[in-house]
Amino acid sequence: MSGGGKRRRVLPGLSPTGRRVLYAYAATVLLFLLGGLVRPGFIQATNVLTILTVAMFVGLVAAGQSFVILIGGIDLSVPWVLNAAAILLTTSSGGENARAAAALALTLGMGALVGVANGIGVAVLGVPAVVMTLAMNGIMEGLTLGLSGGMTCSACASYAPPLVQGLAHGSLLGVPAPLWLWLAVIGLVSFLLQATVFGRATYAIGTNLRASELAGLRVRATVIALYGLSGVTAALAGIMLVGFGGQASLGMGEPYLFQSIAAVVIGGASILGGRGHYLGAVAGAICLVTLISVLLAMNMAEYGRSIIYGVIILVLLLLYGREARES
Amino acid sequence: MNDADERHAASLEAISVSKSFGGVRALHEASLRAFPGEVHALVGENGAGKSTLIKLLGGRLRADSGVIRHHGAAVALKTPDAAHRLGCWTVFQELTLLSAMSVAENLLLRREPRGAFGLTSERRLRQTAEAVFARFGIHDIDPGALVEDLPLADRQVIEIVRALSHDPDILLLDEPTSALMERETAWLFGEVRRLRDAGRTVVFTSHRWHEIAAIADRITVFRGGRDVGSFTTLGEDEAVTLMTGQRVETLYPPRPAAPASEAALTVADLAGGRLASASFSLHRGEILGVGGLAGHGHRELFLMLFGAMPRKAGRILRAGHEIRPRSPRQAIRAGIALVPEDRKTEGLLLPLSVRDNLTLAVLGRESRLGVLRRRRLRSVAAAMTTRLKVRMPDITSPVAALSGGNQQKILLGRWLLADCAVLLFYDVTRGVDVATKHEIYELMTALARDGRAILYYSSDAEELAHLAHRVLVLREGRIAAELPASGLNAEHIVAAAMRDQAAA
Repeated sequence: MSGGGKRRRVLPGLSPTGRRVLYAYAATVLLFLLGGLVRPGFIQATNVLTILTVAMFVGLVAAGQSFVILIGGIDLSVPWVLNAAAILLTTSSGGENARAAAALALTLGMGALVGVANGIGVAVLGVPAVVMTLAMNGIMEGLTLGLSGGMTCSACASYAPPLVQGLAHGSLLGVPAPLWLWLAVIGLVSFLLQATVFGRATYAIGTNLRASELAGLRVRATVIALYGLSGVTAALAGIMLVGFGGQASLGMGEPYLFQSIAAVVIGGASILGGRGHYLGAVAGAICLVTLISVLLAMNMAEYGRSIIYGVIILVLLLLYGREARES
Repeated sequence: MNDADERHAASLEAISVSKSFGGVRALHEASLRAFPGEVHALVGENGAGKSTLIKLLGGRLRADSGVIRHHGAAVALKTPDAAHRLGCWTVFQELTLLSAMSVAENLLLRREPRGAFGLTSERRLRQTAEAVFARFGIHDIDPGALVEDLPLADRQVIEIVRALSHDPDILLLDEPTSALMERETAWLFGEVRRLRDAGRTVVFTSHRWHEIAAIADRITVFRGGRDVGSFTTLGEDEAVTLMTGQRVETLYPPRPAAPASEAALTVADLAGGRLASASFSLHRGEILGVGGLAGHGHRELFLMLFGAMPRKAGRILRAGHEIRPRSPRQAIRAGIALVPEDRKTEGLLLPLSVRDNLTLAVLGRESRLGVLRRRRLRSVAAAMTTRLKVRMPDITSPVAALSGGNQQKILLGRWLLADCAVLLFYDVTRGVDVATKHEIYELMTALARDGRAILYYSSDAEELAHLAHRVLVLREGRIAAELPASGLNAEHIVAAAMRDQAAA
């Protein structure tokens, strides 16, 4: 990005995506330093781990969002799938460990089912992803509100099973348990995308759907599976969130739509599909949450934070767009 | 080298122009002199720099160094508009029409007829467009139609008419005929001759030698970003030698021996889309040509055999067993491969690497429980690029960085890796340079000798006549003629494609 000279590549040997991932991590480090300047103690281990844990919730949702954005899609049903998952977990378990396993399976299954329904709408019925997932978000909102009677049902006051709460609050080797979970997810997603036929098909479909079909790839099945995975990660985020907070509430999924998309974009994925990496979205999630924390540390009011989010996303897209034209 | 006409001045000259993209030198001190009243052909392999030069002359790109002169005066063509002001108009290979707008809107873009209050109307646009078409003898394109609904050939005609309607002093045509049929090509050449006779300059590129021989007054040969000679007469063999820098003995390899009697693929009463009914069998070791004008069911035939389009009726037998491919995936399982019409939109994943493109159809085979065997993928891809002599910066470079001929090789390589017994080749040599064409011909005959069955559609009747064991000519969705190889020539194929029902 240095001004002088002709197309000298910054960091040769790295793909454009690789470079963007690196930018996102660099930005995160800068933000931490800035935070340290604003408030001493910002870069202490406990604070850093807290920020990372908060980033994990965004990161989980962003995993699913990465999957669908890689094929040029989007999942707008995230907020209420997450919310429904949180409520389903507490109500079906009744806060009892004995029923935790069944409740977890039920909740993740619900996420998968909703995601698969999105995938079928997009891949088989040909509904545009924006319309399909937005409608699904509305349906899930309605179902959640209706079935819980607006959170007035007798089971609605239940807490998450202690087991799940333990998972959200526990720690291993000084690192919070959610971060271990996140590491596992990062490993799994990276493996899926980089080392499997499924991953290769994902990039191919995002690049050119028709050509992928004519090359004999399983296009429909892959698209449906990707939306299914997005449903699962949203549900998982809901589970972790209710484990963290103890009780579910209405509207708890709202912030995660914008933040998950923002994380993917900051991480350098092309919103048109075919290009990007989950490691970028991870960087994006951490970067975003750090930014929020810095702004909070500066006592910035909510409206100010919103404006800054928006501006940052725009600036990044402008930078990335410029880079694309150069190469 | 400039053997004639030094007395009158060139209308358009490029003097030692160079242009690089990233690290790749597309043009290196190339020169061109085009004179009034001349049709000047640029020939060369894909990637020789012809298109880049046309873009420089048309103001689409700026040279890194060198001078462009218009009637002797140096000009800076910073934008297409600057070129247009000099009367220099370009027709591009990549079509530049706005697909969601009507033909008339495209034709009259930025010079819409205006009435009272400076407003324009649909009716006025239509009328003006009709008048423009009539002026150039075009009567079968509806000015009200949306461009996206028109076949490629019509779009190319619109593009050409748009340039012609500006009454160009200099007309630059970048591969104008690759999308055109015989009839439209004849029309275009009529217009080109008219311009030449009016003392204008026409510069064009083409890979079809008979066209160049038919119309060019002067031929400039390009190789590796430089001009290597300018001629008023030039034979094809000589031209190929100059273009490739090596002697090609004959363009067409000898036809492989007569095919086996075993049918690899039998088609009975296949119908769907514009294909009304087709029955034939394709044997092991056979190159079965399919000829005829575009839009008479060829595309449907190929797509249906590959499971990429639903069938309305008919049976397909693969080595004697009935198959019902409902997706390309199922067709591939049955040993059928398709190299599609448009390599850029239906074949290749342009931003992805050469390696990923090559291995796309064999990912399933080269994996274990869904996990890619990456080392193996790397080695099979590398072996295929060596076998096909692909010229590329690196195996990890995006396919988009390769020249057209090399891109086509990657697509062929993908299906060679898939090891299918039946190969459906749809116009695989379109827009490909002579040297690569030659390699593709050799590859096809080698595949046939190897016992593979090849169904081969080509818009170039000459190719079919030289390569195929038999040629089926499709007309109005039916097989209008089956021509045996003996005594076959391109005229027979074209005649069979054009002959109307009454005469048949």
